[in-house]
Amino acid sequence: MKEKIRQKISMTLYHGSRIVLGIVFIYASYDKILHPAAFAKIIYNYQILPDELVNLSALFLPWLELITGSLLIIGVWLPGSVFISNILLIIFFCALMYNKARGLDISCGCFSTGEGEAPESNLYLLRDFSFIVISVYLFIKVFISDSPGNRGSSLISP
Amino acid sequence: MSFINRQICIKTSRQVLFITLIVLVAGFASNRLRYDKMPLVEDWSAKSNLVTPSGENLEISLSEASNLFKKGKAVFIDARSRTEYDAGHIKGATSLPYKEADWKFVEAMAGISEESAVITYCDGETCELSTELAVFLRNAGYKNVKVLSNGWSAWKQNGLPVDTEK
Repeated sequence: MKEKIRQKISMTLYHGSRIVLGIVFIYASYDKILHPAAFAKIIYNYQILPDELVNLSALFLPWLELITGSLLIIGVWLPGSVFISNILLIIFFCALMYNKARGLDISCGCFSTGEGEAPESNLYLLRDFSFIVISVYLFIKVFISDSPGNRGSSLISP
Repeated sequence: MSFINRQICIKTSRQVLFITLIVLVAGFASNRLRYDKMPLVEDWSAKSNLVTPSGENLEISLSEASNLFKKGKAVFIDARSRTEYDAGHIKGATSLPYKEADWKFVEAMAGISEESAVITYCDGETCELSTELAVFLRNAGYKNVKVLSNGWSAWKQNGLPVDTEK
């Protein structure tokens, strides 16, 4: 009985995390897909990528977020989408850290391309970190532990 | 890593590859379908930032700016935040932080004629505050506005007169 409850909680947590992270990614992609040029400017302002890669990233990154988010929600191709979500969130975290370290006063470009988002680097870092926690949890579920995640993922292959 | 089995690694790589392909197709297709297509590679150099949407170059060189300064023929406007201005600015410059321009404009620009030469500056090659402020001032009726690129650093490095606010 106890085991059953534990399993139920674990399943709920797993599916909940998957869906929450999926929504986060889709929400983040929406405005950037609509306004690639504004997003390109934000990427440029980070001064991390070489100029040649600015527009390409602005064009493809939002789609990567949208597709990763959708796959997470639908629960299809989980190993691939969980892997990508970890990589993306870690890259965003590093970019934010780098930005903070240099004291650059630029907008985050996390969820929108508008300038209304006042630069608040600690908040961004904390927010991204909480997503990383969810993402790493899903990674462990899907790749390492033998619990719902792995069983689920073995049903689905491209 | 032995605790992750080989099969799932192969599966993951395959899925990542598929996702990448979908993303490439979606990205290219959406860009092609847009009415305001974005070039895949664009000139993002600092210079291109100083061109207005109408194609006019706003840049003024340091030597030109310092000449106008010495003759007292230009008004310098600091587009950075008030704190940065207080810590050090071009001597005689007026503070008008771009982010507060909407409501500080009248007070800051009082007594500066629309005909006078105005030079905006901020700090860093890629800082856009000065360009944005220049466009703002032009829209407000100032006809002769220029941007001193990387203004504060360049000014200081060349030992030109500066001031701090206590």
